Amino acid sequence: FFCLFITVSDEPDTLYKRLSILVKAHDKAVLDSYEFFAVLAAKELGISIKVHEPPRKIERLTLLKSVHIFKKHRVQYEMRTLYRCLEVKRLTGCTANVYLEYIQRNLPEGVAMEVTKTQLQPLPEHIREPIWEKEVKDKEESKA
Amino acid sequence: KTNPADPRGSGGSARACSPPCRRCRFSPVSYEEAHAPHYIAHRKGWLSAHTGNLDGEAHAAERTVEDVFLRKFMLGTFPGCLADHVVLKRRANQLDICALVLRQLPAHKFYFLVGYSETLLSHFYKCPVRLHLQTVPAKVVYKYL
Repeated sequence: FFCLFITVSDEPDTLYKRLSILVKAHDKAVLDSYEFFAVLAAKELGISIKVHEPPRKIERLTLLKSVHIFKKHRVQYEMRTLYRCLEVKRLTGCTANVYLEYIQRNLPEGVAMEVTKTQLQPLPEHIREPIWEKEVKDKEESKA
Repeated sequence: KTNPADPRGSGGSARACSPPCRRCRFSPVSYEEAHAPHYIAHRKGWLSAHTGNLDGEAHAAERTVEDVFLRKFMLGTFPGCLADHVVLKRRANQLDICALVLRQLPAHKFYFLVGYSETLLSHFYKCPVRLHLQTVPAKVVYKYL
């Protein structure tokens, strides 16, 4: 959505109830520094942000040490994934696009991000009023 | 920093004691090679940074194969010049190759090799590849084993 010009349109902007950004990495120091950067960027843009740390996941493998036989001698490997969750509440679409673009362009190497957006939409017109009230109105009109 | 136990210098002989005692040992080893794999994330960093091995992410095998090829390629393109292991960084589409290089070749040859490898690898992997070299007078030694 990189645009050099400010566009003005009549359509109402999309509204987001919640923007949940989950950042995953192997290194805690990298995550800490990225969180500091993201929080600073949010404060500059005037977005209120909350950060929490979901528990880490460790995937362990036990493999045979030798190419042939020696079943009793094994080697264990593990892959650790550390998480950081940035929660932003009540955003407009433009702000969300700008913030996410900035954050994503500056993602460090070896770090992955998952974004979950929860959008607010107005209730569709055909379900605004209960149907039985409409049926009662129709009956009264047909009688009269 | 020269080792007084270096048999090539005027210091002493490494064969005087067998097995050589701590002060007579001569086998230079860099920081990366001196630490065992269980020190990764404690005293060591990672040589290859990509998201393939994270929980819920895919294509780890493709990245590993690319890594193996790139390391062999760097070893061959800069013969006898690499001081330490090559560091590979992947950010979105780009691939950054960072290497410590000895000053074996004249500068214009280095520039040619950098341009050649960048163009070749970009066309091969269909993504922007950048090479970052840092020259070093000699291999950086952490300790002698």
